Amino acid sequence: MRLPSRRTTAAATTLLVVAAAAFWWLTRGHPLPASAIPAHVASTANGEVLYHAASCFACHRPPEGSANRSLPSGGDPFKTPIGVFYPQNITPDPETGLGRWSESDFVNAMTRGLAPDGRHYFPAFPYMAYRAMQVTDLLDLRAYLMSLPAVRAVHPPHDVPQLGLARRGVGLWKRVGLARAPFAPARGGGDSWTRGAYLVNAPGHCGECHTPKDWLMIEDLGRHLAGGPHPGGEGKVPSLRGLLAREKYEDTAHLTLALQNGEELGYENLSSGGMGRIQESLAKLPAADVRAISEYLLSLK
Amino acid sequence: MTREEHVSFTRRTLGWTAGLLMGTTGAGGAALASDPAHLRHEAMETVGDSFKPLRAIALKEAPFDVAVVKKNATVILAKLKEAHGLFPEGSGGGKSRAKAEIWSDRAGFDKAMQKAQAAAAALSAVTEEAAYDAAIKTLGGGCKGCHDTYRLPKD
Repeated sequence: MRLPSRRTTAAATTLLVVAAAAFWWLTRGHPLPASAIPAHVASTANGEVLYHAASCFACHRPPEGSANRSLPSGGDPFKTPIGVFYPQNITPDPETGLGRWSESDFVNAMTRGLAPDGRHYFPAFPYMAYRAMQVTDLLDLRAYLMSLPAVRAVHPPHDVPQLGLARRGVGLWKRVGLARAPFAPARGGGDSWTRGAYLVNAPGHCGECHTPKDWLMIEDLGRHLAGGPHPGGEGKVPSLRGLLAREKYEDTAHLTLALQNGEELGYENLSSGGMGRIQESLAKLPAADVRAISEYLLSLK
Repeated sequence: MTREEHVSFTRRTLGWTAGLLMGTTGAGGAALASDPAHLRHEAMETVGDSFKPLRAIALKEAPFDVAVVKKNATVILAKLKEAHGLFPEGSGGGKSRAKAEIWSDRAGFDKAMQKAQAAAAALSAVTEEAAYDAAIKTLGGGCKGCHDTYRLPKD
């Protein structure tokens, strides 16, 4: 066998270095400038509403058997087809939670999917939807999280093949995903409908499961909330369109009661497939917000 | 043909023949009547129907009536017990929304089922309106506890 010439080796090495540099360059994060954060007196009350609207606790819950089961200290395994994620502790613990995060750290995480150290978050954390949230709402949400008791909780690293490389590669995916505009609901509905559209599409991130994804694993907005394969890999997620025509619910009052009570009062379509946890969060919203969500959802044809 | 192929061929032939016979003799109902997935679905439908008048009481759409509560909670308990016995190994898949976890975590499934049954029994014994709200939510929570983990969502 002939060994490659020194020149070939040099060329191959150069090519590799250039490719690695290009990959590094293309996958770098794009944090918001600090000037993008407005001066704002945060409301923890509004933050709590958003905490429930976004069902933060559904994913950031502690695993079975933890000492405090009601605080979002994270770590409950979140299974997806690409691997198992261990959601972040979002209590204000300085070492393992958000205790040391600045306002811009938090807004960057929620809207750009960037950790304070600049690493990418996998889109299992739904920043694709959260980026449509108002910055003031994000600051209120942060203030609410910071008002919770701090819990120290150390989690295993995500169980994803080639974790480091995959994480960096998310930067490439973001170049396409974040370049696409988030779903913009039509205008012209009343105040309650508009509020519902915001809650469903931005903090609520309903589309993460209820909107099918295209080949790039980005939501196919042409089939907005039309249902599709379950992101967990087994079964299907129902469509949220035509709920009235398909006689799933009778009217806004009916869907509101269903969302507020879930299967505890026998609304059996609101458990299964992870929806039970979401419903538990939505039930904690002010009644007017649950009605707004219902009004918007039932308007989808 | 190897022995295994032969057995499989024979099974297939028998299956087809049985299917044809059922189709021609209208015995399709008999097959359903012995299909655990179908039977447990029917039992659960009855649970759902019996839950409706109980929900109406909880939502104050109907007055609290001990007789209505006892009757429906008793039916629910009986049907839950019946359904619990209708999850033999290998009866998932197809149209069934049963998740594989039922069989891979049988102990957890049995525990969740028993919790719902205990809640139905407790509800059937409720005689005071003051205790009703908590009792029906415990029963509904029992349904939810099982469905959250062991049932696939509906299309």
